[in-house]
Amino acid sequence: MNIVGVDIGGTFTDLVGVIDGEVVTSKTSTVPADPTAGVAESLRLANCDPRKLAEVLHGSTIAINTVLERKGAQTALLTTRGFRDVYGIGRSNRIEAFNLFFHRPKPLTRREMTFEVDERLNAAGQVIRPLDERQIESIARQLRERRIEAVAVCFLHSYANPAHERLAGEVLRRSNPDMFVTLSHEILREFREYERTSTTVLNAYVGPRVRDYLGTLETYLRRENFDGKVHMMRSNGGVMSIRKAQEEPVSMMESGPVAGMIGAGRLASHLGIARCIGFDMGGTTAKASLITDGMPAVEEGYVIGTPASGQPMQLPVVDIVEVGAGGGSIAWVDPTGGLHVGPKSAGADPGPACYGKGSADPVVTDADLVLGRINPDRFLNGGMKLDVAAARKAVQEKVAKPLGLSIEEAALGIATIADSAMSLAVRAVSVNKGVDPRDTTMIAFGGAGPLHAVNIARQIFIPRVVVPKVPGTFSALGMLMASWRQDFVRTFIGRIGSLDAAATRAVLAELAGEGRAQLKRDGVSAQGADFRFFADLRYVGQEHTLPIRIDDAGMLTRDTSALRDLFHVEHDKRYGQAAVDEQLEIVNLRLVLTSARADTIAEEWLAQKWWPAEQSAETSRHVIYGDAAKPVESRVLWRPAMKPGDVVVGPAVIEEPNSTILIHPGDRVMMTPAGHLIIDLAFEA
Amino acid sequence: MPDTEAHPITVEVVRNAIVAYADEMANALCKAAYNMMIYEVRDYCCGLIDTQGRMISQNRGGLPIFLADLGVAVEDGIKRWGLDGFKPGDVMIMNHGQTCGQHLNNVVIYCPVFHGGEIVAFTANRAHWVDIGGARIGFGSSATTEIYAEGLQMRSLKIFEQGRRNETLWQIIQDNVRFPDSCLGDLRAQIASCQLGARRYCELLDRYGRATVEACIGKIWDQADSAVRHVVESIRDGVYTAECRLDNNGRDLDQPLRIKVRVEVKGARLTVDFSEMNPQTQSPINCGRSGGIAAARVAFKCLTSPDLDVNEGCFRALDVVLPEGTMLSAKPPAALGLWSIALPTVVDTILKALAPALPDKIPAAHKGDMGGCSFYGAREDGSRFLLMNIFGGGWGGRPHEDGEAASVSVCQGDVRNTPVELQEIRYPFLIEAHALREDSGGAGQYRGGLGVALGYKCLVPCQVNINFERTKDPPWGLHGGAKGEANYAIIRRADGSPDETVLKGTQIPLRAGDVVIFYTAGGGGYGDPEKRTREAIMSDLAEGFLSAEAARRDYGPLA
Repeated sequence: MNIVGVDIGGTFTDLVGVIDGEVVTSKTSTVPADPTAGVAESLRLANCDPRKLAEVLHGSTIAINTVLERKGAQTALLTTRGFRDVYGIGRSNRIEAFNLFFHRPKPLTRREMTFEVDERLNAAGQVIRPLDERQIESIARQLRERRIEAVAVCFLHSYANPAHERLAGEVLRRSNPDMFVTLSHEILREFREYERTSTTVLNAYVGPRVRDYLGTLETYLRRENFDGKVHMMRSNGGVMSIRKAQEEPVSMMESGPVAGMIGAGRLASHLGIARCIGFDMGGTTAKASLITDGMPAVEEGYVIGTPASGQPMQLPVVDIVEVGAGGGSIAWVDPTGGLHVGPKSAGADPGPACYGKGSADPVVTDADLVLGRINPDRFLNGGMKLDVAAARKAVQEKVAKPLGLSIEEAALGIATIADSAMSLAVRAVSVNKGVDPRDTTMIAFGGAGPLHAVNIARQIFIPRVVVPKVPGTFSALGMLMASWRQDFVRTFIGRIGSLDAAATRAVLAELAGEGRAQLKRDGVSAQGADFRFFADLRYVGQEHTLPIRIDDAGMLTRDTSALRDLFHVEHDKRYGQAAVDEQLEIVNLRLVLTSARADTIAEEWLAQKWWPAEQSAETSRHVIYGDAAKPVESRVLWRPAMKPGDVVVGPAVIEEPNSTILIHPGDRVMMTPAGHLIIDLAFEA
Repeated sequence: MPDTEAHPITVEVVRNAIVAYADEMANALCKAAYNMMIYEVRDYCCGLIDTQGRMISQNRGGLPIFLADLGVAVEDGIKRWGLDGFKPGDVMIMNHGQTCGQHLNNVVIYCPVFHGGEIVAFTANRAHWVDIGGARIGFGSSATTEIYAEGLQMRSLKIFEQGRRNETLWQIIQDNVRFPDSCLGDLRAQIASCQLGARRYCELLDRYGRATVEACIGKIWDQADSAVRHVVESIRDGVYTAECRLDNNGRDLDQPLRIKVRVEVKGARLTVDFSEMNPQTQSPINCGRSGGIAAARVAFKCLTSPDLDVNEGCFRALDVVLPEGTMLSAKPPAALGLWSIALPTVVDTILKALAPALPDKIPAAHKGDMGGCSFYGAREDGSRFLLMNIFGGGWGGRPHEDGEAASVSVCQGDVRNTPVELQEIRYPFLIEAHALREDSGGAGQYRGGLGVALGYKCLVPCQVNINFERTKDPPWGLHGGAKGEANYAIIRRADGSPDETVLKGTQIPLRAGDVVIFYTAGGGGYGDPEKRTREAIMSDLAEGFLSAEAARRDYGPLA
């Protein structure tokens, strides 16, 4: 079976595939105006014939970039009468408690495009005021006249009874067939109106762009006579069908970063590492995630953007910390002479100055080139020759000259500042959580990750760095290991001990039915599927809940002692206490539906014994590490020519087709039997 | 690699660990809590206190106003029991009005932390219980005149003694609060939170040793102090004063309360002098000394170290002059039920005093009160309910942009309003609207943010406390900006009688079908309204933040 994973980042499009038992990779520049062109190019570079593929897995930053750049659709919002400002008011909180200049989340819709609808349900889902279809028709007309592309509908208590949202949705979809319509209950049947509204608006806001993009991609693949399946990587660490992604693009916000962390988790398991930090540095951003026992943590929702002013998204997501520093981050000098790196990125176009596409702004990659850390002739496997003179000129004009430094000093300053910004992300997933980085291992990947990893690890005293095989395209590899996954939730409130058995069974059956329908729509076999039901429980009077896994409705309605015990234990584990005499209350029922891949091709490949694929003579060149005035003669090795057991002590540069590993003086690297590189850092005593 | 005493990386680990532990304590408390004042409003704080009562760390988020007071509670226990009077397994409970200076609902739990057989620190938290007994239910009552009517006081008592629960004290609490299940549930969560923090701190000591950790903490305080001094030094030396007034004490309605501050900047020290503050009142609008100090600290921290984690070092450069007997330093037996009502205004007044010295650092006034409501009664099945919510309001215009709308006060940080859906699930109300209050922001080059309008329709007979402040001296503008619209509420009776405007009232009876609508203040404007750009005005009109009529009034014709 032949499969490929393609990951489109802000700067590069990465491909990893397993074709006839062999791993193939490629890396090419992202084409922002036509991302499909990048996919086509990456398939071509890897010699992948779409006709031979059974499956294409795909991750993309298109959804999240649309939000961060606020370039989504003109989106309207329909709310219950009296509540049009729920979205603007949010929770009224100020996370930066002492900041007089705080900003709260800025809505993605305009207030003038928010329509109040005369309808009302109560908390039990009973109709207090019926919906008037004609009013929706009139709104639909206005939206059409104003050429609104997307609309989000979020009525109060629609989680309890979605009838009004459904009716509004029918009218809107009927009268404006091209409009992207998102109904809150379709993506999140859970109470709390602000968070549900925000999630719904996010979906609508990115919807048209993602829908069109995925449509173009699928059309391209079919035109190339690909007749397999397309799966999209999603934020919860699983994959979904392309059709589901078109309906629920909000769930692919973190698709790229998540895939790499899934891969890092599998690698950690293979190497027997209990606790590691996945570190992924690409062209635009760097990301870090704490991985315990092979699995990154999944949280119920997060905030897109900064914690204080970002947009809440309430669907499950792998816990990742991100900073705006990557190989393409632009270095600049402020009027007072301060040197900064990022957050602006040169992206793929025009890209770094060294791409020779006319950019005069120096980026981190330009600095790395000036410092001798990157080989201008081997970038992207020799596919793109880098222009050293252009890089030096950009560093000279924009940084060295204004600051009165040598070009080398300026380049070293850029690299140092980028490393310190990235170390913040790594710090955030370790020391900020009370985890001592000295007890962890870093797994570094992404095109620029292995180049900067050792220096970042040294800054926060991580003793060991692992650079996997194919680090430059590792995120795409992670996709080949991810399970199909869909999460479902229903708010269902009642006391344990007096739940209506029939109603409980009905909700569980409804969830299972939805799950089966989704499996069917995605063409996933129900046989291998893993249905895991959870009850969100609490002590009566509490607000927050803990998810407890349940086998069947009987656990909730017949003998509930097992359920109670599980809850007490979990409550004690999380909060250090339990109230065994108290009554329990259920708030939500959840279904986490997964279906593992039928194959384990990619995992097997991770553990597969490494053989040198090529011969290549060792060379050497001068590289700048800590002192701009003192370039150090360094060994230069070609990774495909290395053998398991090979040991190299820095200063050294290990080059491979899509990445470069920088080994600082004194650090010691060894290749494992499967070909992964383990770098033990030398610390001054 | 041997650790030297304060190796820079160890300092970083300790710095982040001690705050992470406080955050973890807060999470355990918030997630396991039984009342919305904790789980939604986050009316709590958690921290580590050293054996001299100094603050090692405090959780992020939560209430800024809880800045001065965990240490005070622990210090009292140290004085009463002596450090050797604490034993492993002890858990202390504390809400003594005179010592803590706050309303009695704010109950402190603290635990001694033992490591290697010696007491090394305390973990502590303070949380707002839904009830503490006394004459009045909920909050917002103006009816009390002395502390004894406000509930049960417990002064550094052992609720657990060497791991054994004090059943007598437990029973006294259970029998004297209105919602014992809720209060005792919160108490349990508070105790567990302290024990969790103690375990974590011991892990840190196991790893690095007490001497190293304490050296790191000392270093962290010094670093904070040095950063703060640097900022204070940049403020021009001088004496700065400002004054404003609160409406009244809720009992003598025609007697405004004077809020007057004097700020002196001299080199690297800043003194906040409250000598001319209104004397303590014959009503619950009073706080003890620690409340006044907290208000000064909030203003100071906003100006000098908004980004730093809270610890003892942040406040070394601040002096507070606060003679006994003012409304910020009330003597017993003053009532303290509305202890925090004046504090956002006090903070704003300190900022106003410094506005001439720091024109680019200080926004116009914000809504100025703690804004909330409290409804209580019985459901149809006879069960008792108490609904509480906190509202946002407008913040003042800023030197380079408009003020934020619908945000909680400067004394409230990560405090959240309660979702409408949650309120309707739990309580017999239908909420009619939760909306921005148009035209409420003060005009200016950068206008004030909008307040909110929130309407509750009662489905069963009940009572409400309304406690709005700053209605006569609304949020002021700065540098030519206009004032914002003031707070008020109206009651619309189901029987069709005319709407009543209510600013303050305790135990107002409501019938099923009656509606109470709360309107919160808008922020003051910053800078001359004539300098406001046409684009900004047009955008406000299009979005409906500003009506055409108000636009003409505030900014003139827009031909």
